Amino acid sequence: MPQANPAQSATQWDAEGHLEVLTFNLGEETFALEATLVREILDLLPETRVPGAAPLLGSVVNFRGKIIPIADLRLAFAMPAAEATLDSRIVVIETETEGETFQIGIRTDKVHEVATLSRDASEEPPAVGMRWRRDFVRELVRRDDGVVVLPDLAAIFRSLTGGADAAAGPSSTLH
Amino acid sequence: MTAAILTVDDSPSLRMAIRIALTGAGYDVTEAGDGVEGLSAAAAKKFDLIITDLNMPNMDGLTMIRELRKAPEQAGVPIIFLTTESDDAMKQQAKAVGATGWLVKPFVPEQLIKVSRKVLGR
Amino acid sequence: MSLQDPVAAFRIEAGELLDQIEQGLLDLGHRLDDRDLVDEVFRGLHTLKGSGAMFGFDALAEFTHHCETAFDRVRKGLAPATQELVAVILSARDHMRALIEGNGSGLEATGAAILAELQAAIDGASDSPPAVEPAGAVPVVPVAAAGSGSGWRLSFRLPADAMANGTNPLMLLDELRELGECRIVARTDKVPPLADLVPTECHIGWDVELRGDISRADIDDVFIFVMDDMELSVTPLEVAADDVPGAAPVAGADGSAAVQGVAPPVLAAIDSAAPGKSPAATPSAAPKSGESVRVPAERLDELMDRVGELVIVQSRLSQLASGQASASGNELALRSISEEIERLAGELRDTMMVLRMVPVASLFSRFRRLVHDLARETGKTIALSTEGETTEVDKTMIERLADPMVHLIRNACDHGLETPQDRLAAGKPAAGQVHLSAHQAGGEVLITIRDDGRGIDRERVRAKAEVQGLIQPDQAISDHDLLQMIFHPGFSTAAQVTNLSGRGVGMDVVKRTIESLRGTIDVTSKPGEGSTVVLRIPLTLAIIDGLLVRVGEGRYVIPLGAVEECLELSLEEHLRSRGRSFITLRDRLVPFLRLREIFDTGTRPDPHQKIVVIATGAERVGLVVDQIIGSHQTVIKSMSPLHRDVATFAGATILGDGGVALILDVVQLVTLGQHQEERLRAAG
Repeated sequence: MPQANPAQSATQWDAEGHLEVLTFNLGEETFALEATLVREILDLLPETRVPGAAPLLGSVVNFRGKIIPIADLRLAFAMPAAEATLDSRIVVIETETEGETFQIGIRTDKVHEVATLSRDASEEPPAVGMRWRRDFVRELVRRDDGVVVLPDLAAIFRSLTGGADAAAGPSSTLH
Repeated sequence: MTAAILTVDDSPSLRMAIRIALTGAGYDVTEAGDGVEGLSAAAAKKFDLIITDLNMPNMDGLTMIRELRKAPEQAGVPIIFLTTESDDAMKQQAKAVGATGWLVKPFVPEQLIKVSRKVLGR
Repeated sequence: MSLQDPVAAFRIEAGELLDQIEQGLLDLGHRLDDRDLVDEVFRGLHTLKGSGAMFGFDALAEFTHHCETAFDRVRKGLAPATQELVAVILSARDHMRALIEGNGSGLEATGAAILAELQAAIDGASDSPPAVEPAGAVPVVPVAAAGSGSGWRLSFRLPADAMANGTNPLMLLDELRELGECRIVARTDKVPPLADLVPTECHIGWDVELRGDISRADIDDVFIFVMDDMELSVTPLEVAADDVPGAAPVAGADGSAAVQGVAPPVLAAIDSAAPGKSPAATPSAAPKSGESVRVPAERLDELMDRVGELVIVQSRLSQLASGQASASGNELALRSISEEIERLAGELRDTMMVLRMVPVASLFSRFRRLVHDLARETGKTIALSTEGETTEVDKTMIERLADPMVHLIRNACDHGLETPQDRLAAGKPAAGQVHLSAHQAGGEVLITIRDDGRGIDRERVRAKAEVQGLIQPDQAISDHDLLQMIFHPGFSTAAQVTNLSGRGVGMDVVKRTIESLRGTIDVTSKPGEGSTVVLRIPLTLAIIDGLLVRVGEGRYVIPLGAVEECLELSLEEHLRSRGRSFITLRDRLVPFLRLREIFDTGTRPDPHQKIVVIATGAERVGLVVDQIIGSHQTVIKSMSPLHRDVATFAGATILGDGGVALILDVVQLVTLGQHQEERLRAAG
C-alpha cells in the first residue's frame, strides 16, 4: 500500500507534481491530508476523556472494536475549541511513527471532496509572519478559493510526547 | 481424473513445499507426518503415488514401504522415496523393500513434478 | 493463520527441531548409552539439514551435515557418545540457530571453530577419525557417452518385481517415444505357460529402435530407477544388427495397443488417462513469519460448533427483525435469542481463551539448557527438577515470563547454591537442587522457583538496606519485609559480581515485569536450607474480571484481582480526612487517592463516595470513586501508542453500550499512593 509517511514530513508528490488529498475545514481554515492515509469518515462518536492525556489528544473512541485517540487539531493551530455542528465529522487516518502503525481520528468541522493539489502552487510555510508554529505546517498550497494547509501530523504528535508541558501526568495534579 | 498423491514426511515445511509444487501441477495431495500415519492414510484411500521420506520418527520410511508392499492392493503403486543420503546402500535397501524410485534432497519443484510425471505417466 | 510460505514454515519447524535436538542432547548427557536419544538427535539434525538445503539455507545444511555425520557414526556404533561430543553439538546447535536467523557477524569463523572442536571430539573418541566429508553432494547420473546422431538400438528386460514395485513398462516406452521416433518390438519368448504365469511379474522384454539426436544420458534417465537390476543394452544404431531373433514385431510409434494386448492383466488396470491439469494454484504472497500457536483439532471443532450455533441464532434474529414471526411472541422470542447469544458469546470467549493456552513445559524446557550452562560456568553440580509442566498459561504470558525466570534461576544457581565443597562441608549432598513447579489455583497460576542453597543472608540485606536508606539502623522490620528489600531498585547482595550476575538486570526489574503481567512475586528463605520465589500470575492477559466504577462522568475498570474491599466513605470520615488522605482500616493507616481530583473531572462529588481498597503485595491504597457500578468481564484493548505516556491506565475496554472504559493501572496507582504517603509523612 503506497503511503505517505508523515514521520519524514516530506510531501509525496507524484511524477506529475500532483497530490490527491482530502480537504476539510477547521474553523475558517482549509486543511488537507493525503487521500492514501484516510481510512474512513465518520459521524461524531461518543468520546471518552482520557485524564492526564494532552488536550490535543484528550479522548478516545471505540472505532470498530479498537480504541483510537481523537485529535483536535484546532489546539495545534491556536483556534478556540468549538461546539460540534451537524457538519462535524471524524476523519480516521492510518499513519505510523517509529515503525508502529496506528489509527487516529481527526475531528473536523466539515469534510469536503477529494481534491488534487499541484506542487506548482505550493509553498513552504514562511519563516515569519505566520500565527502558527512553523514546524506544524508542511506546505501551503494556493487554490482559487484560498490557501490549503498541509499539516505535519508527525511533528504535532511528537511535540506532545516530547514536550513535558504538553503531557501533564497525573502526578502534577496532586499537589 | 486427478492423480492422488500421498506425501509422507516428518518435516511440515517439506510437506508444504511438496504440496504446493504438486497441487500447482494439478495433483491432489494428502499429507502424513510419519510412517504410521502414512500406512493408515494408504489404508483409507487408494493413492496413485506415494512420496515418502526415509528418516522419520515412530515408523521410518523403509518399514512403511515394506508394510505397504505386503498389502496386495498396493501392488504396482509407485513409491518414491526422498533421501539426503546419496550413498547407494540406502537406495538399494529402499529398492529391496519395494520402492519404485527416489529423489535426492534438496530438489527443486520441477524435479519433483518430473519424477511424479515419470512414474504416473501423467 | 494459514501458512502458505514453506520458508516461513521451515523457520518455525527449525526452531522446534533445535529445541528437540537440545533436549535430546541434554538427556543424552545424562544417559550416554541411550540409543533412542542418539537416534532422536540424529533425526533432528538430519531433518534440519535436509529441509534447510531445500529452502536455500545452504550454510546451515553444510554445517549441520558435519554434525549429522558425527552422530551417524555414533548411531551406527562406530563411535561412542561422549560428554565432549554432546557439548560440541550443543554449541553447534546454537550456531545453527544463528545461521537460521542469519544474524551475527563472523558466523563463518564461529562455525569453523566449532567444526574444529567437533573434529577434536571425534578424534578423541575413536582411533580412526573419519574425514569430515563435504555436504550437499548431489548424485550425478553418469554420462556414459555423448549423443548418437542417428539414434540408438535398445534391448531391455525389467526385473521380475519391477511392476509390483510400481514401475509401469508402458510409461517407460512412452518416455522413449517422447525422446524420438520409436520402433518397438515386444519379445514374448520368456512368457511362461498360463498355469505358471505370475500376473504381477513382467515377462516381456522389448527391443526399441530410437531415432533422433538423443544423448545416452537421456536414455539412462528413462531407466534410472530400474537401471541397476534390469537387463539393458544400448548400442548406437549404425553398428547394431538389424534383425532381432524371436521377436513379434509391432508396428511403429503407436505400438502400445499391441503391447498392451500381451501385457499381463495388471497393466490394464493401471489408469493411464490424461492428467487432469488444473490451473496452477500459485501460493499467495507469503505472510510475514509471525507467531503461531499449534491448536489441537478438537479445540477448533469446539470453536466451529459454537460459530455454527451463532449463525443459527443470528438467522433467528434476522427473521425476527424482518417481522416474519408473529408479533405477539416477539418480545419473548427476542429475550430467548438474547440469552442464547449471551451464552454463545461466553462459550466462544472461553474456547478462544483456551486456544491461546500453551503448557508451561515449553517454558520450563528452555531452562534445562540454562542450568546446564550455568553448571559448567560455575563448576557446581546442579540438578534441575520440574513439576506441573502440563499447567497451561496464555501464550503471551509464557513469552513474557521467560526473561524474569531466567534471572531468578540464574540467581538461584549463582548466588543460592554453594560449591560442592561447601555443600559437603555443610552436610548436604554435593549436587545442588533447583526445582521449578507450576500449578493452577483458581484464575491464577503459581510458578515456584526453589533452591536448596545457602538461603538469603539477612545481615547483608539489612546492611545494604541501611546503606541505601531504605530502613533506619534501629528500625524493627519483620523478616518477610526484610526479604522483600531485594526487590528495591539497585539492590544486589552479591558480594562479588560474577560472570553470571551483575548484568544490569536486578530483582526490581523482575518484580516490575511480573507486576506488569498483573502478577505478584514473593520470596521466602531459610538460612542454610535455600530460597523459594513464588510468582502468581493470571491465566491470561487478554481478559480480566474487573470492577466497573464511575468517577465524574467517566467509567473505569479496576482489575478485580487487586481489589481488597469496597467501603463507603462516611461523611464523618470524609470531613475528618480533609487535609490528609488516610483512612484507618483495621488499625492500619491506608492512604487514599481521590480519583475525581486526579482525573480533574470538574464535577461535583456524589453524596455517597465509595472507597475501593486495592493492593499489590503488602502495599495498599484506597481509591475514592463516585459510584461502584458492578463487576465486569473485561476484554483488554491496548491504548494507542500516542497515549503511552499516560501511565495511569493499563488499557481500555469496550462496554455493553459501545462506550469505552479505561482500565486503571493498579501498580501505578499504588505507587502514587505510596509517594503521597511519604510526602505527607515527610511533611509531618
